[in-house]
Amino acid sequence: MWHDGCPRLAAVNNHAHAAGLRPHMRLADARALLPDLVTLAGEPQADRRLIETIASWCDRYTPWVAIDPLGGALAEHGTEACSAGGFGGDAGLLLDVTGCTHLFGADEAGERALLADLTRRLVRHDFNCRAAMADTAGAAWALARFAERQADLFCPRHGQRAALATLPVEGLRLDAPTLETFLKLGLRRIGDLYPLPRAPLARRFGDQPLTRLDQALGMLAEPIEPRRVPPAFRTRLAFAEPISRPEDIAAATSRLLAALCRQFEQAGVGARKLEIALYRVDGSVDRTSIGTSRPNRDNPKLMKLFEEKLGELDPGFGVELMILGAPEVEAWSGTQDALPDQDAPAVPAGVDGTTDLADRLALRLGAENVVRLLTRDSHLPERVQVAAPIAAKPAATGAWARVAGLKGARPTRLLQRPEPVDVMAPIPDDPPRHFSWRRHKHRIVRAEGPERIADEWWRPRPDGTRPPAGETPLVRDYYRVEDDDGGRFWLFRDGAYQAAANGQPTARWYLHGFCA
Amino acid sequence: MPVISPNAFAPPASSLSPSQAANDTAATVPAGLREKVRRLERAHSAQRSGRAAGVPLGVPAIDALLPEGGLLTGALHEIEAGPAPSGRVAAHDGAALGFAGHVIGRFAQRAGGTILWCRRPTGVFDALPYAPALSTWFDPARLLMVTARRDEDLFWAMEEGLRCPGIVAVLGETRAADPTAGRRLSLAAEKSGVPALLLRAQPAPPQSVCTTRWRIASAPSQSTPGLGDVGAARWRLELRRNRFGTPSTAETPSWLVEWNDETHCLSVVPQALHGSSGASWPESDAARLVG
Repeated sequence: MWHDGCPRLAAVNNHAHAAGLRPHMRLADARALLPDLVTLAGEPQADRRLIETIASWCDRYTPWVAIDPLGGALAEHGTEACSAGGFGGDAGLLLDVTGCTHLFGADEAGERALLADLTRRLVRHDFNCRAAMADTAGAAWALARFAERQADLFCPRHGQRAALATLPVEGLRLDAPTLETFLKLGLRRIGDLYPLPRAPLARRFGDQPLTRLDQALGMLAEPIEPRRVPPAFRTRLAFAEPISRPEDIAAATSRLLAALCRQFEQAGVGARKLEIALYRVDGSVDRTSIGTSRPNRDNPKLMKLFEEKLGELDPGFGVELMILGAPEVEAWSGTQDALPDQDAPAVPAGVDGTTDLADRLALRLGAENVVRLLTRDSHLPERVQVAAPIAAKPAATGAWARVAGLKGARPTRLLQRPEPVDVMAPIPDDPPRHFSWRRHKHRIVRAEGPERIADEWWRPRPDGTRPPAGETPLVRDYYRVEDDDGGRFWLFRDGAYQAAANGQPTARWYLHGFCA
Repeated sequence: MPVISPNAFAPPASSLSPSQAANDTAATVPAGLREKVRRLERAHSAQRSGRAAGVPLGVPAIDALLPEGGLLTGALHEIEAGPAPSGRVAAHDGAALGFAGHVIGRFAQRAGGTILWCRRPTGVFDALPYAPALSTWFDPARLLMVTARRDEDLFWAMEEGLRCPGIVAVLGETRAADPTAGRRLSLAAEKSGVPALLLRAQPAPPQSVCTTRWRIASAPSQSTPGLGDVGAARWRLELRRNRFGTPSTAETPSWLVEWNDETHCLSVVPQALHGSSGASWPESDAARLVG
């Protein structure tokens, strides 16, 4: 039930449908027809979630599942598209089962078996649904909603013209005004449109009726956009009996992986990301994925990565189907190279396990927590060092040599965010005499500086603006100081001293690092 | 650790004379068994099997005390930041990090490979090791930096690294002192011959099974006369634990060392020269040894 000024019905059940109630009917009209009507508040978001769950459950039949964009609330199938329509709502799912039916039997028998299996399983989960199969998504859509006999739900190959002829014109997915005009003109059946000349029809109603008709009859292509992009490489394993023991799941994963690695070898690629999905008997799906830092197709190594993750998967009451897919693959480079290393001889490939180690660490600690340090051309100390996840391209060898000239003057630890300190500096351009950091006072005995590092004017500021021409660029004056205990710090003054405003110095001091 | 001699394997009720029995057993005890005994004497086994070697620090005075003339590979070494000379808690561990960098540099020079650096962030005031400074000791491109949120993960990552053949040294930055984890790291290091280092920003209770434990505090440097600038980095180095090493005359051997950026060497500052704040420090007189 939903509102647009007056309450209307969003969905009706079988009894209500039999009594003549239809979705979108005003509640008052519905009450007039059926005085003892029981209504419940509509929950479109919950409906949407349910449809998504059913859609991901349908991945077991084909990777090409889409939620019908026309359906506001429930079920559809149909190429060979399958369409399951519910009486209550008008939500639907579109499944492109091309090339998937052979798993259920040869040719038409397999197609019928898939349709029967889909309906049976959905009914077993207490869904009121209708599924139809036809060569085109449009025909399946119409059949699922308007076919009168159960036998009509399956449309044989190239039979959509005959099958649709007797269906009401509502099955063409037309917009409301066009539909109304059609009905007024007495065009009640789709078949009524067949003999009409096309040109006057297009002039009178625009492209839509002809486009929809051609799509339904298979004269115009209608691509289905899948919910999840199906991976190019995937293997599936269905079980006669549901499995739930961890060992069984591991063994099944190993078999799937072996099959997938053979696919990789034939295609000359390696996996960067693998995803395993467990289809449980209660209709829910559990997924987990692993990532690798290099294209990998080494079965035992990938299995080792999966072993870490399989423990997280919950088989629930049992798993009846497992699908292993590779959403990300890259060209296979042949060898696993070691991390870049300039002066040492290359460790023979395969012996050095650094990439595998990095993968294992990244899997457990998170990819963003396993990084290499790269350098970039910058004067700003905090920009020089970049922590790049291991998947990133390695820095050019010897890149660090460029910053080597400064190493003596640089701290061994750099604070990620400079911390403000209170200083006592007698003369503007002199290093401070004292500074207080975290409530500890440090008396400065030795100091070196300043080393002036200016803002990079060619780079936009964090807020996206560029410093206006003529403005003094922001500068930092860095000092290396040593306190009376021998502790060495890296301080900077943010901005040059300018005329003191209200007796307050304009520049602030910060601590940026700790020296050796 | 008690040394088990081959005699221990002689049958107790032997009819042969003791000396004969000893000779016979020495001849008949299979090599594998002898290897096993050596493994029981852990450190010795590590040294003899060639998996552990001493990597000199480049300071003869210190290396003389260490087993095999240097820091053992295949062992656990602890480096902690000590309090300042005035007794005040050190504000940071920049000096300890510098020494750790030097040690890793020595290990990394020995063989090519990746250096695994595991750290646990200390919160908002986290300060990352800064690669431009570390490039003094080794090429930062060889670093694999790992951030762990829990100590268990940190020790796990270190152990995984120690088992990996492509890793040349493993360093862990942590505040946790877990004797079990220390023992595990030590065993893993012995098995693979890869050195493990623990870097602590604060002294930890002395309980771990490390081979050496160092305490580093930064010491006042020597300015160029008349300039008041910051001189070469000086550290007060204390060797607080030296397993399998040569005992020193002092209870806790300690040195004042200086890191020279230009010559890339660590050297002991002669006693006569440090402390006298006004005295200039002639370069040629310093016991400077290139490592």
